[in-house]
Amino acid sequence: MGETYKPRVTARDRERLAADLGTPEVSADGEATFADLRAAVAAGADPQFASMGAAIRADLRGQLDAERIDEALAGLDEQLRRAEEVREVGVPERVGKGDAGVPEAYRELIAPVWEAYDHLVEVGFFESLSSNLPAFTPEHIDGTARGLLTADALATDLADVGFDERERTALLMDVVNNDTRLSRWVPTADIPEGVEFNVDYVPPLYHRAVGGGLLWVKSLDRHLVQKEILLTEDVLDDAFWRAKAILGGVAVFLRAARDVASDEPEQTDEQLVAGLSGGAAITIVNQEELMREAYWLTEEKRAPTRAR
Amino acid sequence: MATNQEDKAIQAASETIVEETELGYQVFNAPDESVLHQHDTDRIPQFDVTQEMLDDAGEDPESWLMFGKNYEAHRYTTADVITPENVDGLELEYEMEVGANSSMEGSPVIVPGDPPVMYQTNGPSHVKAIDAREGEVLWSYTYPAPEDAVLCCDDNNRGVAVWEDKVYMTSLDSGVQALDRYTGEELWYTSTADYKEGYSATWAPIVYDGKLFTGSAGGEYGVRGFHCCIDAETGEELWRMHPCPEEEYIGDSIKQSGGTNWMSPTLDTERELLYFNVGNPSPDFNGTVRPGPNRNTCSTIAVDIHTGDVVWSHQESAHDIWDYDSAMQRMLIRDVEIDHLDYSGDIVYNAGKTSWSYTMHPDTGDLLVRGEPLTQQLNFMRQVPHVEEEREYVMLPGLLGGQDWQPASYSPETGLCYHKVLNTPHSVAWRNEEYRPGEKFWGGIVDVEPDEEDIPDEYNGHISCIAAVDPTTGQVKWRDWIDSDRYLWGGSMTTSTGLLFAGTQNGQLVAYDAEDGERRWEFDLSDKAVSGDPVSWYDPDTEKQYVAIQVGGSGFVGRGPRGDRLAVFSLAK
Repeated sequence: MGETYKPRVTARDRERLAADLGTPEVSADGEATFADLRAAVAAGADPQFASMGAAIRADLRGQLDAERIDEALAGLDEQLRRAEEVREVGVPERVGKGDAGVPEAYRELIAPVWEAYDHLVEVGFFESLSSNLPAFTPEHIDGTARGLLTADALATDLADVGFDERERTALLMDVVNNDTRLSRWVPTADIPEGVEFNVDYVPPLYHRAVGGGLLWVKSLDRHLVQKEILLTEDVLDDAFWRAKAILGGVAVFLRAARDVASDEPEQTDEQLVAGLSGGAAITIVNQEELMREAYWLTEEKRAPTRAR
Repeated sequence: MATNQEDKAIQAASETIVEETELGYQVFNAPDESVLHQHDTDRIPQFDVTQEMLDDAGEDPESWLMFGKNYEAHRYTTADVITPENVDGLELEYEMEVGANSSMEGSPVIVPGDPPVMYQTNGPSHVKAIDAREGEVLWSYTYPAPEDAVLCCDDNNRGVAVWEDKVYMTSLDSGVQALDRYTGEELWYTSTADYKEGYSATWAPIVYDGKLFTGSAGGEYGVRGFHCCIDAETGEELWRMHPCPEEEYIGDSIKQSGGTNWMSPTLDTERELLYFNVGNPSPDFNGTVRPGPNRNTCSTIAVDIHTGDVVWSHQESAHDIWDYDSAMQRMLIRDVEIDHLDYSGDIVYNAGKTSWSYTMHPDTGDLLVRGEPLTQQLNFMRQVPHVEEEREYVMLPGLLGGQDWQPASYSPETGLCYHKVLNTPHSVAWRNEEYRPGEKFWGGIVDVEPDEEDIPDEYNGHISCIAAVDPTTGQVKWRDWIDSDRYLWGGSMTTSTGLLFAGTQNGQLVAYDAEDGERRWEFDLSDKAVSGDPVSWYDPDTEKQYVAIQVGGSGFVGRGPRGDRLAVFSLAK
């Protein structure tokens, strides 16, 4: 418990991250820290990212309610600061019969987000992103990672709400090291002719990414209560970290959305795109890992049974 | 007595053809209008099948009044003439060619009387009343299955419900047809959904307190599942519920969410809850277009019988990407002791395509016991690769389970549950695929016969087995591996004398000693697979106990050749 939930980030992972980002080995022991990486990646102008960011702002100008997003972010930050209390509880006690008797723990963590999320859906925010952002190609992911490093979202804002250096490095790795996985989440508009999904029924990519992440966190209370006999402390650790990581991704995403809503933007257009894409990428990778680590409880993974 | 050739309804059913097309399986040459042929209908004793009879159905040795024998779905008969000691004297009383060369997956219903009357169905949407003592058809009825209905997995019809003077049958076009059970005449028909969108119906409905409960099939066609309650007297819909709640899906993904409920529910008369089996999400293999756990797909859900409100749900395969429906009719087992949990009370139980059995608390859905795997689990619960990865992903259990729809049985004498399960490796991959309403919608590709070199070395080579499970511990008490080039299909039945009856894909009906799995009796029925579910009753006038089973392959999904036989065995006191 406590520190045990932290994501595993090895020296080798850090080396790979530095190599992927094309940064030199900057620390004395050869292991690039998040701060080292941030210092080594210069904020450079990326005309394509800048163009995308400008298009998103233009598309949504005047439609977003900055106050609603601010409230969501403030609430989410507060929840993230107390998030470890949820891990300390482990599996909460039932409070009654049926689904209604499942206590809200993880659902409290995401409670502040829903109103802003619904607002983004209502104004067509996710459709706009689909129109203005490309697929998760290696190039787009590379640009996203660099943008994330030069912006404050990962480095400062998440640090302020309890993501330590290792956790922030892990989130950055989620983006950088998963281009193949992310590319499977195909934007509806990019689906080749003849094999298209019905666009009326398949939501925009960024909607699927962020909304899907929230649904996974939303489901955790019931999952843990109902499957208690299968759970180990490792599974609980993994579940907590992946949920926290998803919320980290949502926080990064919402910060970018707020910047779109703001009359006085704080992020560059490049950083805006990096925040949106990076936040969504983090939610994608971690919802898949949450599923794999905490829901698909095979015989090898489950707690030993007392029944046999 | 008219022969099958002279019976217009049987003739219409037998002329109906089901073939695989690009859209899925389709019905051809069905009659344009319903066909009824009456024979000696006066032979059917005229009395109501009362609610009291249905409530007591589990204890009554002279009847088999609903798909699972009782509302708790035990498939257990108290008829006690046939025992382990005398079962070798069981003889074929009569057999019939029922007409349609169909999948034959059903359970006949037996209404007691002089004579007992059997209501037997087969696909597509054909039902007949039979003098169960003489094996003679009293009336037969063929519903006009539409030719533009498409089916993923055959033209199944697994049985009827009876109540008062009516018999109820689901129809392939996603409806319920009520018939006069004495004459076979149509009383009312209710369509529950538009079959042109991919909906169909294949299971036996159940009736309780004047309410008829019926679900939805079509999960491979991008539909949204539902279950509805219909006034059994009038056909009026009383409530409708969707297993998949809108607030648990992203945007319009709910519209093709799947989560159909394509087998009969189980009823808890004390709690007034229905326990539903819920199928896979849509599309089957590409989860990226339907993110989230896809709540209540591949689940048990407990539903208030009066309102349709979901009280609890328990999911077996979150965000399923392997087609691991959870289709087995749930069992409600009362007054169980679970020593290691110090638990005493009722349990809800089933096994799934995952090959695990699940013992749940009936008030919460909390998992009390997850059983040891009924089959092998290899490459199990891993991310399905995209077709572009060119990686063979051969998983086991394959798409058909584990425990698929095959109705399991329970014996209060042994305390064991009995499953017919598949140990079959299948290869799957996902790809983007367009969905058009009414067309096949899998979102991937499947190879049910993967190359030998792609099958994991650990595979034991046994395609199927019949296994006995203690629901209080999940322990597999005995297992009989059954090998074939066909899939093991159909259900089982237990007796109060300690027998377990089950058909095999190799054409045999087997009676096991339910305690230890010893084969006490076998009868070679056919070169066709036995895909039906055995039922049994005692006839006080003949002083015989009868066992009936339908014979025929589920030719498409089960690989075996289709058939159209009904075999009835008997043993005198």
